[in-house]
Amino acid sequence: MRGKRRAPVPPVTEQSSDGDLLRAIAAAQRDALQLLHRRHAGWLRFRLSGRCADHDVVDAALQDTFVAIWRNAHTYRETSAEPAAWIWTIAVRRLVSALRGPGHRWLGGPVPLSDVPEEQLALVPSAEDLVLLHVEHGELGTALDRLPSELRAVIQVTAVDGLTVKEAARYLGLPEGTAKTRLMRARARLRELLT
Amino acid sequence: MRWHIDGDMFAAYQRGDLTPSRMMAVDTHLQACATCRAAVPQDPGWLDASWSAITEMLDTPRPRPAERLLTLVGVPHHRVRILVATPALRWSWLGATVSVLAFGIAAALAGQSGAHMTLLLYLVFAPILPVLAVATVYGPPVDPMHEITSVTPVAGPALVLWRSSAVVGLSVVIGMLGAAFVPGPGWWAVAWLLPALLLCVSTLALATVLPLIRAAAVFGGAWLVVVGGAAVAGSPVRPLMFGPLAQAGYLAAAVVAGVVLSARRRRLDPGEMR
Repeated sequence: MRGKRRAPVPPVTEQSSDGDLLRAIAAAQRDALQLLHRRHAGWLRFRLSGRCADHDVVDAALQDTFVAIWRNAHTYRETSAEPAAWIWTIAVRRLVSALRGPGHRWLGGPVPLSDVPEEQLALVPSAEDLVLLHVEHGELGTALDRLPSELRAVIQVTAVDGLTVKEAARYLGLPEGTAKTRLMRARARLRELLT
Repeated sequence: MRWHIDGDMFAAYQRGDLTPSRMMAVDTHLQACATCRAAVPQDPGWLDASWSAITEMLDTPRPRPAERLLTLVGVPHHRVRILVATPALRWSWLGATVSVLAFGIAAALAGQSGAHMTLLLYLVFAPILPVLAVATVYGPPVDPMHEITSVTPVAGPALVLWRSSAVVGLSVVIGMLGAAFVPGPGWWAVAWLLPALLLCVSTLALATVLPLIRAAAVFGGAWLVVVGGAAVAGSPVRPLMFGPLAQAGYLAAAVVAGVVLSARRRRLDPGEMR
């Protein structure tokens, strides 16, 4: 709905909420994007660096992320997800594209959008996420630590990073069926370890 | 929030020293806690560099459909830019080609009784159009950007040939579309293709001796005089000039001209005054 007329957006300040910033970005305010960048680039880089050791790839993915936000901010819906989670999902998808996408990238070419429709970018925090917030205290933490690493990796990219199983398979370099099986096995193992 | 991430934990995360469950805890906590997000160790120099890279990406114009199509076909990026970056030239010859063809077709549709004559006119003029296009691809009289282009490393034969291929390709496509509307047996509608090929290649071959425009004038003029003259003199132009024998002759001559062009391509006239 790019062409739709919008109500004028008030100017953004340091105190604006992420949602306000995204609305201002949808109204093509460059300042808002810069504020959002200053607020989120640091932790995004921190988390992405935990997933990819190549700083150039991380930086490129991060730049793509903010370009994608600039172009797709109008698809963000206040009700559906925390802005930080929405931004993180875009960032981790950019990283997957950078790592697993086609080898060539057009100079100045269009940013390839993920094949997942944009509406699905907005994720509702799942029950697993909420539980994981407290993992380090409870038995779940121990259970996760005792999980075989290949099963834990699937849990990591689906539950923590918020990728779909299809994207997780691409990220881990597995066939989709294998990723699905591993996710089911990981859930079964966790259930065993927790009872 | 019952807990916050401290400096040690950030450092351990970056070193990869945390247990897997704690890594996940940091990940999920960061996503939910603005205080900890702001507390992540920052590098101001990196932040500025990242932002300037992003603004550069935002300010880069997005490629237009023609550009994307050419890239898809496999033309290298720098060639694509050259081909799409001369809109002034593009519109002038495109307009000329389309309007000349449109007049011919309109005349053909207006009077079916004159269909024979119209087809003849079409066959005589259609081969000239690609030559006109080639004549106007390069050089001071037609290219307003020529002075700037001529001092760049891409100037010269390569650019002449790239632009020529582009305009000839498009002219042929337009000519074929036009031919579809011309009344008469289908075979005649494509009879102009080989003469057009011959005229274009020999124009380029002659351009290794004369300026491009003059070379185009020589061959375009010669074609008009010979074929037009034959028509006026009342000779059976179609069988004579467009029959199978003549077509074979055009093809052979075009091959010869192509050999000459490729042997002398380094001397292809860039259109400067001599």
